[in-house]
Amino acid sequence: MALRDAAIVGYAESKIVEKSDRDIWELGAEILESLLVSTGFDKAEIDGLILSASMTGAGNPFWSQTTADQLGLELDFCQIVDIGGCSPTAALARACAAIDAGMATTVFCLYADMQASENNRRERGMQEWIQPQGYLGPPAGFGFLSRRYEHQFGLDYAMLGKLAVAQRGHAVLNDLAVEKLRKPITVDDYLNSRMIADPVRLLDSVMVCDGGSGLLVTSRRNAEKRGLAKCVVPIGYGERTNYRVRENIVDVTETGHRVAGAKAFAQAGLKPSDIASFHPYDDFIIAIMIQLEMLGFCKHGQGCAFIREHDFTHTGDLPLNTGGGQISAGQCGLAGGGTNLVEAVRQLFGEAGRRQVKNTKNALVTGIGGIPYGRNWASSAVMILTPNA
Amino acid sequence: MVTINDTLGVPREAPKGRSFAMPFWNATREKKLLLQYDPHSRLYQFFPRAAGLVSGRRDLEWRESPGRGEVFSYTVAYRAREPFRGHEPFLIALVTLDEGVNVMANMVNCDLATMTIGLRVKPYWHPLPGGMHLLMFEPDR
Repeated sequence: MALRDAAIVGYAESKIVEKSDRDIWELGAEILESLLVSTGFDKAEIDGLILSASMTGAGNPFWSQTTADQLGLELDFCQIVDIGGCSPTAALARACAAIDAGMATTVFCLYADMQASENNRRERGMQEWIQPQGYLGPPAGFGFLSRRYEHQFGLDYAMLGKLAVAQRGHAVLNDLAVEKLRKPITVDDYLNSRMIADPVRLLDSVMVCDGGSGLLVTSRRNAEKRGLAKCVVPIGYGERTNYRVRENIVDVTETGHRVAGAKAFAQAGLKPSDIASFHPYDDFIIAIMIQLEMLGFCKHGQGCAFIREHDFTHTGDLPLNTGGGQISAGQCGLAGGGTNLVEAVRQLFGEAGRRQVKNTKNALVTGIGGIPYGRNWASSAVMILTPNA
Repeated sequence: MVTINDTLGVPREAPKGRSFAMPFWNATREKKLLLQYDPHSRLYQFFPRAAGLVSGRRDLEWRESPGRGEVFSYTVAYRAREPFRGHEPFLIALVTLDEGVNVMANMVNCDLATMTIGLRVKPYWHPLPGGMHLLMFEPDR
């Protein structure tokens, strides 16, 4: 299978900052250099580049090409993935596909965005239907979603607080997390944080930051030939965009992760109870709970009960976003999906230091991308990784 | 309890509608709500699209709707961008029209004690610069 024939041989990540005074290509060069040093690959061996979407890059329709030029990369395969927060995980899947198809041998996946300091986005979307209503975007969308969830199933906000507290504890242990958020919080702090889009609170929400990460992906054969025993292999992937879009009114508490997850688990030959650590995309805390439900860790509507029964700290039975997640490490704009992905890879390399999880048999990473009109989210991605399987 | 702003004092601009949505916007000049209807799949749809959601066909009809329905979900906006900044908190609702589509709109004449999922609502047309109107909802008492 395509996925299993590829291997992640290196990962890199920058410090996440509130606002950077550096150029995005300086950040890209830092990620690239870090990967070359850690893997021993020569720059000329990289023949593929896949970028995640970037608010900074949004002003340039030649983004992957120009970035490759800036970094001095001569390539056989070059593209950008533009499915929002799914882009980094989806870029990894596309790297595996490109390697499998013989279009590239060694692919640099670069997830960099300086959204906080240089946002070049020009709106071309739903403005005529949401701007006159004062719709703030994702916080308001998750406000609708949370209220609806509460109506259908009941919602114990203290359980969402438990997830927020666990992630914050991990950010305290992560030197690369944005400094502003590296202070422990309590469930009361969560519950008492001010409302943004009631019932969505400040401590439910990500803070847009600057930063980036990246992976170096090559064929398994190439990795073995070079004696790179330490690598991570994707063994299952599912992706769904516009789940149930042909229906006017959908249950907003049900998402594309249901189908993307089923596909990823089937490919991997695993079930939710086999998952050793969980690195879901977190733009809002409730998204984590809904993904637990959609991926089958518990039944639809039973998320709060599941959270009550489990320990999500790095020493717990289901370690959650052990770098702090985007909510506590900071969201690197549209590259933010790389933060949890790279953390999962770091854990499987056994290099997570003070927050290293015990069970490194596998890790599950997800993506969420785009907030469409009156629904939950546009794209859902699920990736299951194992150490050199 | 928090006092909710009805947002009628927010200085809104007339929206720049897309080509295929202009029948909707033009009908608001007469405070009429037009919904796209796909005769192939026999379904209404909202927001207006260039083709039918199910059929993919482009010969869609525009049918007038009384604009009655019930609240599907809602949020109270405590943070907003311009021109809404300073007008918080205000209500944004997703309303399921009786035709079976969800529409996002602000609520007027509605306090927090009244607002609830399932609340029956009727249209409230708010004038925009240039003669078009914005669809809002109020409780259908």
